[in-house]
Amino acid sequence: MRTIPQQREGRLLLVPLVTFLLVFLSFPALVDIVYALSDVTFQTMRAPELVGLRNFGTVLADPEFWSACWFSLRFGGLTAFIECALGLALAIFLSPIVCRYGWTIAILMLPMMVAPSMVGLMYRLVLHEFAGPLPYYLTLWSGTSPAFLDAGHAFWTLVVVEVLQWTPFAFLLFHVAYISISSEIREAAAMDKAGAWRILWRIELPMMKATIAIALGIRFIDGFRVFDNVFTLTGAGAGGSTTSLSIYIYQSFFKGGQIGQAVAASALLFFTSLIVLYAGGMLKSYRERRRVAA
Amino acid sequence: MAQIKLDGTSKVFGDITVIPPLDLEIGKGEFVVFVGPSGSGKSTLLRLIAGLEQVSGGRIYIEGRDITTTPCGDRGLAMVFQSYALYPHMTVRQNMAFPLEMAGEAKASINRSIEETAHVLDITRFLDRRPAQLSGGQRQRVAIGRAIVRNPTAFLFDEPLSNLDAALRSSTRLEIMKLHQQLGATMIYVTHDQVEAMTMADRIVVLNHGKIEQVGTPQELYERPANLFVAEFIGAPRMNRIEGEAAAALGAGTIGVRPEHIRIVQESGLWQATVEVIENLGAESHVHTRSDVAGPLVVRMSGSPGVKIGDRIGLSPADGFVHRFDRHGMALR
Repeated sequence: MRTIPQQREGRLLLVPLVTFLLVFLSFPALVDIVYALSDVTFQTMRAPELVGLRNFGTVLADPEFWSACWFSLRFGGLTAFIECALGLALAIFLSPIVCRYGWTIAILMLPMMVAPSMVGLMYRLVLHEFAGPLPYYLTLWSGTSPAFLDAGHAFWTLVVVEVLQWTPFAFLLFHVAYISISSEIREAAAMDKAGAWRILWRIELPMMKATIAIALGIRFIDGFRVFDNVFTLTGAGAGGSTTSLSIYIYQSFFKGGQIGQAVAASALLFFTSLIVLYAGGMLKSYRERRRVAA
Repeated sequence: MAQIKLDGTSKVFGDITVIPPLDLEIGKGEFVVFVGPSGSGKSTLLRLIAGLEQVSGGRIYIEGRDITTTPCGDRGLAMVFQSYALYPHMTVRQNMAFPLEMAGEAKASINRSIEETAHVLDITRFLDRRPAQLSGGQRQRVAIGRAIVRNPTAFLFDEPLSNLDAALRSSTRLEIMKLHQQLGATMIYVTHDQVEAMTMADRIVVLNHGKIEQVGTPQELYERPANLFVAEFIGAPRMNRIEGEAAAALGAGTIGVRPEHIRIVQESGLWQATVEVIENLGAESHVHTRSDVAGPLVVRMSGSPGVKIGDRIGLSPADGFVHRFDRHGMALR
């Protein structure tokens, strides 16, 4: 049999991956870059007129873009933090029950089974100022009810809705990480005179560190790019107070027809996340090098 | 004076009695081995002493103090686990510092203790590595180090060698024995391996179904087993067990003869047998035979066997080395 030189073999094996990337990523990416640099509307989509960086300038000067960014950041960060904190507490607190009765996990998982847009619609009904049962009963019992979906409360209502739906995800990750810590390690710590709190802080949480970081990361990304449940619950809602970055891009693209601007905004988002990821990777390898050197 | 004393200690899981009430005294500086087949309750007994399981009845005393309900961390005992149970996110140094930090010792004295212990165990080189970067034998040393550094009243070992390969196992066995001499500390060691029990123990506790079958020095157990279970559990190859006519002829329900106490006599002998399998180990040979009246018999002899498969031979037990048991398996003296 003819042997292939190692270097060529390596290249050959990379072909499917590179093809995949070219077909599915590079074409849309190229089109995106062209559109971002062009003045383009639905009528001129096949003949974009290059205008340089003007779209980026417009986007960066648009206060709505910045408020959408701020919304997404705040929403992503806050929900990720609350979901992980609650999920961690549940995973540790409920672990004796969940370990004994496995089926309880199915119940805890239930919110995750519902499509986020359905969740949005459902809460829109439940919280509706006139038709919703929650404001109705609150008014009946306490004489007053907050307007859950007005400008002052919409953000927090959305946070609660998101947290209620996605805490189970964090819980599931933490549950798996928690029960995978061997019982002998806990027993060893107990023999070493560590109480329950110290075992938690010194042994269990550090051993779950990687899972906690991953859960925070996934939940932040999911919260940052939030679209469907916000869109169905409040739209851009209550005077633009709940315009997430995804909704901003959607609105300027489909409603405003400013394709160039919308694409420029998404390109900015793309480059920002690239820089964040790259910085994260650099930090990690720097730390590892320092640890090896130490 | 007994340092650790079990007084009617028992353990029940649900409806299952794992350990019926049991008494045992362990002296200061003694190396005691709990040995028995799996499910004999030896690990449970160790965990009761450690405080990792609550007793269902009876009391446990350490140095005269009743510690039956004392939490495991306050009993002054250190344990080495089968899986080593090192903290994977900590360096060796941090692993060893952990029990001292929990006891609230000062940083300087913690460092001194760690350095000393690391020197004794020859693990100074590894102090800044994580457990994942160590081999099985090195992890074992660290686990022992984490126990020593606390200067405990007694050490508890739960099958600490079962994850090591054969060569490492015997060398670590020797090291633990040396350590015992060096520290003069009380050690309780659980194993299912009778060789470990025989070689390491000052005293062996043979357990079966949670019951103590016999307590004694290795020599006592080998020479005067209290019953058939102990007789067959101690010694390898295991004791030949002969029932029926051949036993009745000696006035017993069952007789036992160790393979090393049977001689091949070419002519007559007490039992006639056919050679079936020969295991030649170089320094000694195990000859597996089938006797007409006594059933299968193994003969252990030094050097090469001098018989062939299929040979008809006569076998004679050495005088004074025939163990007699009654119908219930208890030794007749």
